[in-house]
Amino acid sequence: MASMGRNLLSASAIALCAASAAAADVQVEFWHSFGGGGGKALDTIIADFEAANPGIDIVTEHVGNYNDIVAKLQAAIPANRAPDAVILEVTRYGLFADSGVLLDLTPYLDADPLKADLFDFAREVGVYEGKNYIVPFNNSTPVMYYNREIMERAGFAEEPAPKTYDDLLAVSKTVTEKLGGEGIYGIAAPGQFARWGLIMSNDSDLIDSVSGEILIDAPNTIDAYKWMSSLVHEHKVASPDGVTDEDLGKDAFTAGKVAINLGSTGSYGGYVKALGDKLEVRPMPCNKVCRVPIGGAGIGILASAEKEVQEAAYKFVSFAASAESNAKWFAATGYMPINRKTAEQPVAAEALATQPGIRVAIDQLPVAKGRPRPPVVTWMRSTGYDMWQAMALGQRPVEETLTDFAARTREEAKRSQ
Amino acid sequence: MTAGQTDTARPAVARRPFAGRRLLRRATPYLFALPLLLFIAVFTYIPIASSLNLSLREWNFLRPDKPFVGLENYRTLLSQREVWNALRVTVIFAVISVPLRLGLALMIASYLVRETLPSRLLRGALFLPSVTSTVSIAVIFSWVFATDGGLMNAALTSLGGPKVPWMQDPMLALCVLIAVNTWKQLGYDVIIYIAGLQAVPPELYDAAAVDGGRRWHVFRRVTVPLVMPTTYFLLVIAVIEAFQVFTIVDVMTRGGPAGATDMLVNMLYRVGFTLFDIGQGSALAVLLFLLLIGLALVKSRILGRRVHYEA
Repeated sequence: MASMGRNLLSASAIALCAASAAAADVQVEFWHSFGGGGGKALDTIIADFEAANPGIDIVTEHVGNYNDIVAKLQAAIPANRAPDAVILEVTRYGLFADSGVLLDLTPYLDADPLKADLFDFAREVGVYEGKNYIVPFNNSTPVMYYNREIMERAGFAEEPAPKTYDDLLAVSKTVTEKLGGEGIYGIAAPGQFARWGLIMSNDSDLIDSVSGEILIDAPNTIDAYKWMSSLVHEHKVASPDGVTDEDLGKDAFTAGKVAINLGSTGSYGGYVKALGDKLEVRPMPCNKVCRVPIGGAGIGILASAEKEVQEAAYKFVSFAASAESNAKWFAATGYMPINRKTAEQPVAAEALATQPGIRVAIDQLPVAKGRPRPPVVTWMRSTGYDMWQAMALGQRPVEETLTDFAARTREEAKRSQ
Repeated sequence: MTAGQTDTARPAVARRPFAGRRLLRRATPYLFALPLLLFIAVFTYIPIASSLNLSLREWNFLRPDKPFVGLENYRTLLSQREVWNALRVTVIFAVISVPLRLGLALMIASYLVRETLPSRLLRGALFLPSVTSTVSIAVIFSWVFATDGGLMNAALTSLGGPKVPWMQDPMLALCVLIAVNTWKQLGYDVIIYIAGLQAVPPELYDAAAVDGGRRWHVFRRVTVPLVMPTTYFLLVIAVIEAFQVFTIVDVMTRGGPAGATDMLVNMLYRVGFTLFDIGQGSALAVLLFLLLIGLALVKSRILGRRVHYEA
């Protein structure tokens, strides 16, 4: 009798285990790059998704910045430790798409009503060689931030409206001359994203996104770099600290030590927190043309994930790009809306009504342009830091540096084909 | 069982454990060393062999195949001016920082060798940076040497001096790295030197004093030769560390400004994990390995003869 009872107990335990295994949640391991306010907003979106999809768990890991993700993903793939879904910067996912690491999301997106809701720019950023590899999540353009209090103290009775390089330099000079004694600079040395924006506003590019032609040594690119470099080593209106460490430029702006900072709209939430009412946001200057690059990232799904996990991951990706989620993300961070219906959501409408600065990136959308994403871009962006430092610190002539850099980029493009 | 059967079985039974024990006795040292040998094999020799293999192939982590390219990676690397620049910077770093470290450490150790309370406290204070996280040290010194808002320039300007572009001037940036690295490593060198100095027989100092030797002469003629084994040991360690310096550079300058502080290991990391060229990264690792072996041989040839382990 006792033995029969034991058998029954064992059988029940086995049945219970089997049942719980059958009902086990599908886990999607997701690598991302968001800390602070962005991280909290992402957690909210994930909590909403899990509540709406009880069978799916999103296991997140904050891996670092975009560069860190690219490095760690490369190392994780041969070790069979890659995640199921990952945030990838819009100019650097081509490397993974080329190697067959990313799942082709074209059939998923074609069958998803989300596709019709996405803005054209948002649909375009995920396409590489005619196929869709990432679904946009956090997209941005550079904007011009300035500290209103510094401007007033520098004697600007009316809001300065710098449109051209010359205007921007004149404002920066005035601020540095008047407040330089307090350690305040007119402008922060432009970071990589802002530099790309300034090159575009000079009617040029680094690599043509359509033809793939390398334009690093094009006359307008050279002129743009000459002007950007002169801010630091010639006119001394930007601190050299921001050249050797771009984060120091941002830090100085949030600390109220810099009047103007050109940077991603995705920094808006953090800047509002740091500067409050002193923060003003304006469009990027239009030196020769009004044109800004589209930045940010999208979510890709790994081809190595199991089919069931891929489907669960796509559900999450689609949910994260939905109007409801995107509205929460937009309001919390300042990244651009990617969904046409985002602005209709109450949380987005409130953000637009109460935070005027958040609208600037949206207003720039008509002049926003996608950027190239072949594998050589990863090389170009990594190597570009040294080139910029040499030019901005006056250690090497701009034209010579860019001619050399262009030749090496062309060689690398050939090698990586 | 008969008595005869028992007799014939006995030697056989007795031989077996004897042979086994002899084998066991012979194998015992190897068995004790086996875990460590396995550890070294897995974490040192296999990676070295693997790097050597990868240095002859083209691979970027994502490719399923690793085609054999012979010496192409070495050829490409040696034709790049960045590699020669990194080698030049690393050699300058080593040539300045190693004698600086050892010279300062010996001088400080000579004063701190006495067993007094202040001396003990100072030894502890000097050793503290050696056990502090390198990243934390690098982050703090990045702020100390920031051109705008940095502690060093704040002190200089408050004294009426100019702002110095510590991290933007190629030469100054390298000097800052050498200074920070020396500050971090000094405590370890001092402690090792103190141990070496304590082993010097005091009679020799007494004899030198009787002979009327001046302090400097005693230091030069007695102390320096007698701590040569310690110096040799520290030299080997310091040279290897100088050629493998990474964290301080990566956090403070990332090789900048414009490659002025780009060391070989930083370049190796960049080639392998930023540009994802594992073949070239491995080739650079092999070249660095050969360079360090070569330097060790040169050191043992030149200095080995001057090292005496008996007073």
